[in-house]
Amino acid sequence: MGKTLAGERASTVDAESERVLSDQELIVLCQQGDRDSFRLLYQRYQQRVRSTLYKLCGSSLLDDLVQEVFFKVWKGLPKLKTSKYFSTWLYRISWNVATDRRRKLARGQEKTSLNEKSWEKEQLNYTKLSDDRDTPDLMHLHYQDLVQRGLEHLNFDHRVVLVLHDLEDLPQKQIAEILNIPVGTVKSRLFHARNLLKKFLEQQGLSF
Amino acid sequence: MSNLHDDNRNNLVSFLRQNQPIPPKAHPGLEQQIMDSLEPRANYSRRCFKTGWTIPGAIATGFLFTSVSFGVRTPRVALEPKDLENFIVKNWQNTLSDNGYGTIEETEAYWLLPTVVESKPALSISAQ
Repeated sequence: MGKTLAGERASTVDAESERVLSDQELIVLCQQGDRDSFRLLYQRYQQRVRSTLYKLCGSSLLDDLVQEVFFKVWKGLPKLKTSKYFSTWLYRISWNVATDRRRKLARGQEKTSLNEKSWEKEQLNYTKLSDDRDTPDLMHLHYQDLVQRGLEHLNFDHRVVLVLHDLEDLPQKQIAEILNIPVGTVKSRLFHARNLLKKFLEQQGLSF
Repeated sequence: MSNLHDDNRNNLVSFLRQNQPIPPKAHPGLEQQIMDSLEPRANYSRRCFKTGWTIPGAIATGFLFTSVSFGVRTPRVALEPKDLENFIVKNWQNTLSDNGYGTIEETEAYWLLPTVVESKPALSISAQ
């Protein structure tokens, strides 16, 4: 009997120690300087950040951009008062980092032609990697390439809204908070972005 | 028409979702690199504690100083009516002198003297 009780107690302790910490708990621990909690937070959100940055900036220096975002998160976390807005805040940091990156590019710190070449090279590498990884069909790769090029075709304001809404599945209200613009502007940009992207894809031979 | 428009939009969105570009895998050492690049942070709770107690502490210290300085002062009490008169006159003179009304006689009798306006002789030009 005693043995059973001890076993139950042990299993309860195990369950408690294995309990998944909520975002809010992790954020509080991070604010207190707990690096292990920050590592968990990173593991939980890095894919979303990575994916968003990739769609906004391409794969050039993607690791550096991700690092910059999380460095800023660590630095800014003590100032974050409401942990329930963490996700919005994180997307805003990602957007800021992407905007800075684009400004640097626009200033001509990196030559456009070189960038385009590296972009094509990266695409090839990516295709190669994907082929090695799970051999997806060629049409799917072609479509992915078209979508990426279509996103590149949009201006940055339109692209951000479309990526966050249609690809990252964020509600319009949250996007408005991230970009600090009215919801009406989000709707209007989304409408134009979809139309432009649709036209681009139709020019490439697709129809909807 | 509207349904057709919605269908087109839904088709486009679902196409985008199905074929969204997938980012390349992160460098294997990226996570550790990020963790290593983090600046050490002073213990937040301790800092909160310090910040939390700074303002009330300052208020308490100020209050203590004020009450002590008021308490230490001994009140001046005039024992003689003459002292009281002197005190009042002196204070009044100080007030006037502070405002730059010029020097004033320090005697109490000065206040009792009638003010005499000396008549000055008018200037006259004699045409001689």
